[in-house]
Amino acid sequence: MTTAILEARDLTKSYGDRVVVDHLDLSCRPGTVLGLLGPNGAGKTTTLRMLYGFVPPDEGTIYYGGKRFSENRAEAKRMIGVSTQDDSLDYDFTVAQNLLIYASYFRPRVENLEGRVSELLERFDLTPYADESPHVLSGGYVRRLLIARSIVHRPSVLFLDEPTTGLDPSARLDVWELIDGMRADGLGIVLTTHYMDEAERLSDELLVIHEGRNVVHGEPHRVIDSVLGDHVIIVPRAEPAREEIAAWLQDRGAEQVATVLGELRVPVSKEDLAALTARFGDATWQVRPPNLDDLFIALARRNGRPT
Amino acid sequence: MTAVRSLTAVADWRSWAVFRRNGLVFLRNWRTAVIPPAMEPVIFFLAFGIGFGGFIEDLDYRGTLINYATYVAPGLIAYTGFGTPYYEALYSAYVRMFYQKTWDGILATQVELPSVVWGEILWGAVRGMVNISIVASVIAVFDLLGVVDVRLEFLVFLPVLGFFAGCAFASFALIFTAIVPAIDHMNYPVFLIGWPLSLVSNTFFPVEPESAALRALMQLNPVYQLAECARGLLVLGNPGSHLLGLLGSTALFLVPCTLLSVRLTRRRVLGD
Repeated sequence: MTTAILEARDLTKSYGDRVVVDHLDLSCRPGTVLGLLGPNGAGKTTTLRMLYGFVPPDEGTIYYGGKRFSENRAEAKRMIGVSTQDDSLDYDFTVAQNLLIYASYFRPRVENLEGRVSELLERFDLTPYADESPHVLSGGYVRRLLIARSIVHRPSVLFLDEPTTGLDPSARLDVWELIDGMRADGLGIVLTTHYMDEAERLSDELLVIHEGRNVVHGEPHRVIDSVLGDHVIIVPRAEPAREEIAAWLQDRGAEQVATVLGELRVPVSKEDLAALTARFGDATWQVRPPNLDDLFIALARRNGRPT
Repeated sequence: MTAVRSLTAVADWRSWAVFRRNGLVFLRNWRTAVIPPAMEPVIFFLAFGIGFGGFIEDLDYRGTLINYATYVAPGLIAYTGFGTPYYEALYSAYVRMFYQKTWDGILATQVELPSVVWGEILWGAVRGMVNISIVASVIAVFDLLGVVDVRLEFLVFLPVLGFFAGCAFASFALIFTAIVPAIDHMNYPVFLIGWPLSLVSNTFFPVEPESAALRALMQLNPVYQLAECARGLLVLGNPGSHLLGLLGSTALFLVPCTLLSVRLTRRRVLGD
């Protein structure tokens, strides 16, 4: 297995009495995408801000390229690219100048900068807008420019904080392609998103955090399997035996019985599904594989939040 | 150690990268960025120095009789040297920080927060230099027209002095930039601090307090020192003790204000 380009151990951060990140470990290898997931307030943003170097951890250590971040700050920051959730483009400059000015914030200087800028404009389909103000760009193209800007200095690790929020489906798919391409180039990518399909399809590994702690970590299907099992059954609101099915499943040990718009959603094992079919053969329900949406709902319920 | 790093960041390439960014934007919009703001002191000079000054008898300045226009000309240098970096670091820096999120983008690079603060301080001070140069040029024209009587050869030193004092004024303003909840709240540092400070600093009229404590306090005021330094140079060709006073009061302002600005900006922008 390739050595991690980013590794964080025991990260802890408190604000006052509130522990926001609690002894969190994570790592990201070159050419992989680490999906960092968690409900609002889980501690994702604080974790990212520690990894960017915006705030120091109270405890724990961050390594970039095997070297301690706190002792090699400038070198480490040369290795990372950050595409924040907010639009922080410099609207005083054109699209191409945004890349040029951003590159000026790094040392050693970017080699063959003009060539690098042309390459990025081409790759991110921004060449027609090179001399325009970013004001003319659509939301999808603003996001392209933000990502292009964050890799102008050829970093080894890229942080993408909700890169497709607010984009239409077509623009989202375009950003997915770009992320996939950057991964293929060997970049280690840390991705946060609220779109579960995005996390599932793009991530090589998932780290789900809740209340600052690592809840589950691993490959997406293993993460889902470890929490949810084999299937999810969906019992429609109109099914007369709905309440009876819920009670029966709970008697068999199902802990994650969720109600969504009147529908019953329950992760079940193969064995439970077989028993359910035998017991409620006349009832109507659907069966599908579990996904990250189910995982989120399950985790929220596990932690006492209403679904 | 953190304090030392915050102060020595002035020499770091990162601070100059932020400075360069602001300079490039300025060069793109230099007409609108220079001409209207620089006209304000010129209009003040016409209104007060020439208009209002016509009703005022000559003044005794350190044993030399001068007309009011000659008195007020160095005052306008100080007014410009204070106002330009002060308002630049209040309004323009706030817009870059809050609305444009320019600082967020910069901080996601190798640039650290003290360098962002220093970049803004240096930029505000250079803007002060530029505007002082324009006001100095206008004073030179009025000297040639015989309206004022100043030592023209000393005009070239004023932008340099203004740069040092401007660093202190910009660092002072950045404290407010870091704490005001919204841009409307800039009225407090503008009208309750900026305006009074620029008026009671021997800019438009001599201030000679009876109280020894107030007189001592005036010595610590870099706007007063800049006004008197400029006046000493332009009228007598000698700034006297005010050159030392200017450098001392600038340092006294600059060091704590920069440290506080870095601390408060860190809290506001980075949430630390």
